[in-house]
Amino acid sequence: MPDGSLYIEQDEELINSLRQNSSAKRKAEEQLFTKYMYFIREGMHRYSLTEEEAFDAYSDCILQAINNIVTGIFAQQASIKTYLYRIFNNKCVDLIRKKTTNKQGIHQTAEISHWMEMISDAAKTVVQQLMDKTDIEILKIKLNQLADNCRQMLSMFAEGLSDKEIAYAMEYKSADVVKTSRLRCLDKLKQLYKY
Amino acid sequence: MDNLIYIDTYFNKEKTTQDKEEFESRVLNDAAFAEEVAFYLSANNIIIEQVQAKKKEKFREIYQQQKVISINERPVKKLWKLLAAASVATLLGIAAWWMIAKNDNPRQYAEQYIERNMQTLGVNMGSGTDSLQAALGLFNEGKLTKALVQFQSIIKNDPGNSNAKKYAGITSLRLQNYDEALQYFRELGNIALYSNPGKFYEAITLVKRNKPGDTILAKQVLQQIIDDDLEGKNEALQLLKKIN
Repeated sequence: MPDGSLYIEQDEELINSLRQNSSAKRKAEEQLFTKYMYFIREGMHRYSLTEEEAFDAYSDCILQAINNIVTGIFAQQASIKTYLYRIFNNKCVDLIRKKTTNKQGIHQTAEISHWMEMISDAAKTVVQQLMDKTDIEILKIKLNQLADNCRQMLSMFAEGLSDKEIAYAMEYKSADVVKTSRLRCLDKLKQLYKY
Repeated sequence: MDNLIYIDTYFNKEKTTQDKEEFESRVLNDAAFAEEVAFYLSANNIIIEQVQAKKKEKFREIYQQQKVISINERPVKKLWKLLAAASVATLLGIAAWWMIAKNDNPRQYAEQYIERNMQTLGVNMGSGTDSLQAALGLFNEGKLTKALVQFQSIIKNDPGNSNAKKYAGITSLRLQNYDEALQYFRELGNIALYSNPGKFYEAITLVKRNKPGDTILAKQVLQQIIDDDLEGKNEALQLLKKIN
């Protein structure tokens, strides 16, 4: 596997599409997944993973890479292929470690890990302890009890769309209206979860 | 609500050192605030997980499709073994299938698509008190006219509700109100969504309506789905083959 230390220009189009929204982004995500899908077979041979495990590692790798590209964490100092290959290998190693230690734990998405980095260690410990007490299953059930437009709005925001972009897509008057509605939805979820 | 606004703003904007200090201090000294931060992060974590699970489903679909393609692309010389192993019964089966496929026209395809995909809708989506959920309940009970009235009422109050537009279109299509269905699907198709079936549903409706000129319009819409790689591309390819 060549270690591309230079940013490869051909990746630029894909990166730009991933940073857009709606169908262009979806198409780029699927294109990225398809382009390096042969990693799955490599993972099966190199790490003796089952096809399902290698698929999981590869899918997680693509999702993390997409997030890092969209949020700007991917600094474009290596080619996408090299960058993906590193993430994929780490995911495979994590998977083996998880298998051998049989540790499940609560999965924290890359986005939340990124947000957690915004607070100091002392505050992080307090928040993490409180998060560990959250009943994830009940929260999931309550989330599904929200109205469809609420869930759609929250999902679009989680997807990385700004309030302005959500306003355009869902035909709301302004970004401010979306922000207020979105936070009302979250507040409703909190009430549903509490009572 | 005020705390949520503050927390949301904190995590989604550029922060000064003062912002950070104030936030940290509140987390460490205000238990209720710390709980709100934990809730905000937990809730978003679950929402992101659900979004990612949907994407993973799509990836799995692509992976399975690619596997089938790569199997079909194996060298011909290897295929003779498989062909030799095929029994007379299999050949008869293929012949029977061929007869059916030959008689399969675009309208039959559209009817089968509606039959397969538009008989029941999103039963696990949303709460029992939600008006959209109530309308879906009516739809699934076969009370299509009443369901349509409900969907229309939701759209009136919330013109941006893409799900209501999709369901109103499907209900109109099931009621054979093709012009109305087309209107809803065209509006849906123009909404910028991550995944939007509006265009494909429009093509299905055109094929089903079958007025003069509808076939040409359907072909154009299907070609657009294929060219722009929109949702329903695989089905669009199949339907376009049948039209041609």
